[in-house]
Amino acid sequence: MSKSVADAEVVPASMIPPLLSEARSRQAMSQLKNGETLAKANRMLALKSGEMRGAVLALVGQVEREAAGGDWPAVQATSHEIRGLAGSAGLDATGRIANVLYQYLDAMAGRKAAPDAAIGGLHIDALLRSAGTARDAAQHGDAVARELSLLVARKLAEIKK
Amino acid sequence: MSGGAFEHLKALVVEDNQHMRILLRSLLNALGIANVFEATNGEDAFVLLRDKQPDLVLSDLSMTPMDGIAFAREVRTSMSSPNPYIPIIMVTGHTERHRIEAARDAGVTEVLAKPVTAGNLFQRIGEIVDRPRAYVRCLHYFGPDRRRHAIENYGGPFRRREDFENDLAVR
Repeated sequence: MSKSVADAEVVPASMIPPLLSEARSRQAMSQLKNGETLAKANRMLALKSGEMRGAVLALVGQVEREAAGGDWPAVQATSHEIRGLAGSAGLDATGRIANVLYQYLDAMAGRKAAPDAAIGGLHIDALLRSAGTARDAAQHGDAVARELSLLVARKLAEIKK
Repeated sequence: MSGGAFEHLKALVVEDNQHMRILLRSLLNALGIANVFEATNGEDAFVLLRDKQPDLVLSDLSMTPMDGIAFAREVRTSMSSPNPYIPIIMVTGHTERHRIEAARDAGVTEVLAKPVTAGNLFQRIGEIVDRPRAYVRCLHYFGPDRRRHAIENYGGPFRRREDFENDLAVR
């Protein structure tokens, strides 16, 4: 039975069809906490990582072409795709750089201002380098992402003034 | 082979990126969910929701023609929705506060930020299994209770502005 609180009707959790029966829920929780299930899932992810890396590299090539053509809305959409996929491909730094680029373009779009091509170019270069080799990404990618993030923050602050 | 507790569940993955769909399917398979349906946008997902009657939805946010927010709202409030109570996990790279709030206000059950890890996805599924939430229906919202932390035996006044104003009027 539902009850009313002010103008809201509340349906208690006990009245909602559960995802699993009580017995299965207990089994599910022990399965979820079981390290073996997690290890199995991580092995499955590892099997897919090469494929994911290939997809990220293709997207980095695509974003480079879009930036060269000055198509910033497309660059923003592709950088969003990269930031979502890169971490699952073991390219964490690439994901972080793509995230900084996305946030810069999102902020510029919000201000209805044209993005600075030089800043876009720096990000594209960084994406290409970080996605190139895992070793390079591990050595330089995080520092580059931090520097780009600072640069973007400075530029956005200048625009605000 | 037994899939354990999850083997009879059916899941729907709504995601426009093929690689992300594969990844999510793999993780669900690892958990023992073999029946995984896929759609590339909210419109197609709604059709599958009616036809396949899944038990759980994993949905991206940015998609066309119908994005994840509109899809969640449709599932929760449409007269033709086959299951307004279905758990929806929004899997998104859009972690900006206003977007997360929009997802919450559309009736999403859990939000999972990309990059997706097995641990994070399992944690969200665990929340749904272990801590099912009440649902709230009011003028502009239907979905899981958005107040996560209820204080048991709360003896204070209600927290809505009109409750506060009524309380003052009574005094």
